[in-house]
Amino acid sequence: MSMGRIFGIETEFGITIEGVDKMDVVEESMQLIRCYSQGDFVPLWDYQLENPRKDVRGFEVDELLNDLDEKVHLQQDRQRKIPFKELKSDLIIYNGSRFYNDHTHPEYSTGECTGLFELVAQDKAGERIVNICAERRTKALKAGEVRIYKNNTDFEGHSYGCHENYLMSRQVPFDRIVSGLLPFFATRQIFAGAGKVGEERGAQAPIYQLSQRSEFFEVIASVDTMHKRPLVNTRDEPHADSERWRRLHVIIGDANMSEFVTALKVGTTALVVDLIESDRLPDLRLRDPIAALRNVAKDQTYQWLVEVEGTPNRLMPSVDVQRAFLALAQEDYAGRDDETDWVLRSWEETLDTLEVDPLSLVGTLDWVTKKFLIDSFCEEEGLSWENPDHLFWMQSQDLEYHNVDQTQGLYYLLESQGQFRRLVDDGEVATAMAEPPRGTRAYFRGRSLEKFRDEVKSINWDRIVFGLNGRHESIDLKPMVDSDIARQCNDVLDASESVAQLFDSLKKIDMHAAVALT
Amino acid sequence: MAEWMEFERRTRPGPGGGPDGDDESGPARPKVDRPDTRDLLKRMRRVDPNQARRYRQRTGE
Repeated sequence: MSMGRIFGIETEFGITIEGVDKMDVVEESMQLIRCYSQGDFVPLWDYQLENPRKDVRGFEVDELLNDLDEKVHLQQDRQRKIPFKELKSDLIIYNGSRFYNDHTHPEYSTGECTGLFELVAQDKAGERIVNICAERRTKALKAGEVRIYKNNTDFEGHSYGCHENYLMSRQVPFDRIVSGLLPFFATRQIFAGAGKVGEERGAQAPIYQLSQRSEFFEVIASVDTMHKRPLVNTRDEPHADSERWRRLHVIIGDANMSEFVTALKVGTTALVVDLIESDRLPDLRLRDPIAALRNVAKDQTYQWLVEVEGTPNRLMPSVDVQRAFLALAQEDYAGRDDETDWVLRSWEETLDTLEVDPLSLVGTLDWVTKKFLIDSFCEEEGLSWENPDHLFWMQSQDLEYHNVDQTQGLYYLLESQGQFRRLVDDGEVATAMAEPPRGTRAYFRGRSLEKFRDEVKSINWDRIVFGLNGRHESIDLKPMVDSDIARQCNDVLDASESVAQLFDSLKKIDMHAAVALT
Repeated sequence: MAEWMEFERRTRPGPGGGPDGDDESGPARPKVDRPDTRDLLKRMRRVDPNQARRYRQRTGE
């Protein structure tokens, strides 16, 4: 049995072309997406339902913040002759995911999943799809090779995200969400970090950090995602009934190559969301969560101490902060379903190992494995962390760890040797490239497009508009966040031989029969 | 309408092919704690030392 909560992952990939002097990242990101389709691009994504400026605290900002670099780029972008929809190049894939050009990065957003390992397969499917597009684009280019990296930085201060989404009850007070998440997020990186060579802000010390993203976070809570990033993002875009649901939009995480880490990161966070909804949280408040996040990432002693409020304040190892959440989750959720039990077991064993011998987690955690690779290389080549040229070489190895080309990337070299722990096999990933998760509305989205693609006029996470009898008729996907309604609608879709039959059959389903929230 | 890329469809593996199956032992370590580094180092030597210096991205979310 699966965990049951609806979750998903959105990944912005880094893109470059090796072998050319200059590249236009906006153009290349757009062209890469276009390589998915073999014919003309038909824009279907419905932007009317999106508003990233709306804040859950009850207001809307005039504009989202950008750093100076990006402001210059955006000014130049406005001179482009390409229409907005063409630039975004939004595609919906039969597996229910969204693939598009987001702020000059190819982005793959998985369809909604309720199974943890199903999500891992969907996430890996995104890597494979982007890589296939890169190969096609390389063939189309006169010179150079397109390379795609599933990482979060260019080592020069430009970060891009890997976001997680968790559907949760609207009834939970937002303050409780923030207070519950802060100690968890500041310390989650001890197992969820992807590792990074160097520091991009402040002293720019030649150190190895646990996380790619931690030094880019500056405030506790805000609606922004590109500048002055918050530990807790307040974007109010539930893509579901806003009276009943929130979408917890988590922007603090690294992009993970390790399947185990992806599952553990999402699984533990889903359990913490369960605890928040139940108002069962450890009595823990960090004195300065932002400083804690950065200090944990940079701590070369691996004690990962954070300052916890009290009388007096006390220093606490991050492992113990995580254990406080784990203990409550074990108490409340052990035996609930197979995936929850897997998360609880894996969380406990990982924390135990991190406490006594973190570097033994080679082949399990991204940051540990990357550190092992870098250290081995430095020893072999006699590289020094104090030599700037050597540091660039190490950063080049860091980057190559995230290369999604299975014949090139360092992560994939280890995986091909059987040195990396896997949770899904290649067959499951191949299936996920075309098959949507069966138990959610992602199935309805993907299969609708596959069955009736000529009748689909527009599409979004929560609405599909069809052409029917010369009119545009829409299906609201919001009620389908309820698993029972999703199952009924998916069955109806499978049985329908025409759009007209689909609409007729859907009328027989009580879309408001969702189980009341407790 | 665009012609959509068709990927190979495969049958999902049975219960034995999934993550950990019914294993109660928690996250099993990889079989080798310290991988054989010969192939790794050979591959790492082929990585352009200046690759990261050239790699420049725009800020994302």
